[in-house]
Amino acid sequence: MPDNVRPQSGDSRRDLRGSSGPARHHLLTSLFGIEGLHTLSVYREHGGYGSLRKAMFEMAPEDIMAEVKTSGLRGRGGAGFPTGTKWGFIPKGVPGPKYVVVNGDEAEPGTTKDRYIMENSPHMLLEGVLIACYAIGAHQAWIYLRGEYDGPYEMLMAAIAELRAEGILGDRPLERDYPLDIQIYRGHGAYICGEETALLESLEGKRAQPRARPPFPAVKGAWGRPTLINNVETLSNVPWIVAHGGAEYAKFGLGTAKGTRLLSVSGNVQNPGVFEIELGTSFREVIMEMAGGPPPGRRMKAFWPGGCSAPVLPEWGLDVSTDLDEVARAGSMAGSGGVIVMDDSHCMVRAARRLLQFYAHESCGKCTPCRVGGNWALRTYDRVLEGEGSDVDLGIFDAIQESLQNGRCLCALGDSAGFVIASTMKHFRSEYEEHCLEHRCSVEEQVVAASA
Amino acid sequence: MAALSEHAIEEIRALPPRFPHIRSAVLPALDVAQDELGYLTREAMTEVAELLDLDPGYVEGVATFYTLLHLEPIGKHHFYVCTNLSCDLRGAYEICDHIKRRIGVEGFDEVSADGLFSLEEVECLGACEFAPMMRYQRRYHYDLTPEKLDALIDAARQNGGERAADPPRDAAASQKPRGRRASSRGPTKEDSAELNA
Repeated sequence: MPDNVRPQSGDSRRDLRGSSGPARHHLLTSLFGIEGLHTLSVYREHGGYGSLRKAMFEMAPEDIMAEVKTSGLRGRGGAGFPTGTKWGFIPKGVPGPKYVVVNGDEAEPGTTKDRYIMENSPHMLLEGVLIACYAIGAHQAWIYLRGEYDGPYEMLMAAIAELRAEGILGDRPLERDYPLDIQIYRGHGAYICGEETALLESLEGKRAQPRARPPFPAVKGAWGRPTLINNVETLSNVPWIVAHGGAEYAKFGLGTAKGTRLLSVSGNVQNPGVFEIELGTSFREVIMEMAGGPPPGRRMKAFWPGGCSAPVLPEWGLDVSTDLDEVARAGSMAGSGGVIVMDDSHCMVRAARRLLQFYAHESCGKCTPCRVGGNWALRTYDRVLEGEGSDVDLGIFDAIQESLQNGRCLCALGDSAGFVIASTMKHFRSEYEEHCLEHRCSVEEQVVAASA
Repeated sequence: MAALSEHAIEEIRALPPRFPHIRSAVLPALDVAQDELGYLTREAMTEVAELLDLDPGYVEGVATFYTLLHLEPIGKHHFYVCTNLSCDLRGAYEICDHIKRRIGVEGFDEVSADGLFSLEEVECLGACEFAPMMRYQRRYHYDLTPEKLDALIDAARQNGGERAADPPRDAAASQKPRGRRASSRGPTKEDSAELNA
């Protein structure tokens, strides 16, 4: 096997780029790197499925929910909604099935943490899923996994087969009369499926267009039934919380951002990777130390702190902390934890154009501002980058970003496209003016001059 | 009829019991069809629709939504290269240009004259710490360089363009999910009516 191909099973350490091994703040990744961690036997040797046993034999469902609430865990998919509160929305005592749906459609540009979890420790996710099922009174979980994730798919399939063979999935898991099952549903390539109601539409075999709410999925989700939808990383925290208690988890982090989270750092850094950090760590430490900072001779110009849908921050953003509220106060959002770093050899207008290409392509077409706005912005960027811009285009960018935002669409995709235009214009207006008014790019000129 | 083999038809017929509602089987069924034919022909989509008791227009409407479903032929060796920002910042478009030169195509989504290769520009594949990267033959390929691409393209040409065997699609397919059995009731007619709305 050529060494550039990721092994699909076997030694996960071969190209583990990011956190692994014990450290005070490694709640998720402390076992990562252990030979064979993806197998049930090794996961169990290190205490795996102890939390499920504890949950099912020593705790009532409401106790589990209380621990998750106490932990202060907030959703790691992007919105940061308190997990315990979300669990509490699932109605009790309704007849008929309820579902746990795992959002494994990781597709926010710059975000790789869910893949990192599933490839390294698939059983940690599955244990969290089963505990969530028990806590909300569901017997069936569906993992919606993005279709391109062949590696995680094979890892999860193998892990589920092991659980069936061992009787942890089935009619009497751990000899207890509480049937449990997990199925995987593979996506087919659509960013919008990361939005929870679009995901449900896709799971039901439809074009993935977000639903109007209410009703919320907790009341009427998959196939019309009460459904809990959580992100992969969110549920992967649950075994630790059950084992150690919510109060212990809440000792990590600060303010209303408790615990640790995985940040995937990519772009122009020397040591890209997925790093588990305690919430509150500064972006300077994450980008400059853990990820090694920009390449030699380059200066960091800007970074997107939470996937490309989070408004870009210029260099001063390094002193912002990863606390969810502080990122919001800085005018951006912690989002999905995908930190994209750009150095001073890249043009911001060109970067914004590439991101608008993404939003234009991924718009589901349901809401007019997003369907029309994304493509209109993209065509405007193309015109400007071809040297045909004018002051009119500055006004067009402004008009488009405004009409994409402010809740004019059913989901956040339109807003996100608006954020890209608005934030890059706010912090890097001079580059827009150069392109639109002077038909030149000083960044490109510098790069060309340096290489001459 | 008969766009699909007996085997594929059997596989599609086995799908609906896995789901609380038959409609959920449409995307997995399109996977079966695409795996067999390389891309989705109109005849194949019509056949899928008949097997699942759905309208052919509905099935085509679903198929056109998702980028992993191909409505036009692609090369036997299809490169899904990510060009989103994290990969772009690390030279993804140079990698694309190199592939285009090596396989002899002008642009994305064009199949090489020998039918062996095609290149698709895709959005973030979720492996940005290994940028630039791509998906090829159901595997992720990391830290791409022109040399790595050359090796893959040469190997593909040498073995006569045969694709590597696909891994088994779904080992859990034999296991029925638990939704209906474990509960007092399955989806009722009202549920179905709503889902069909």
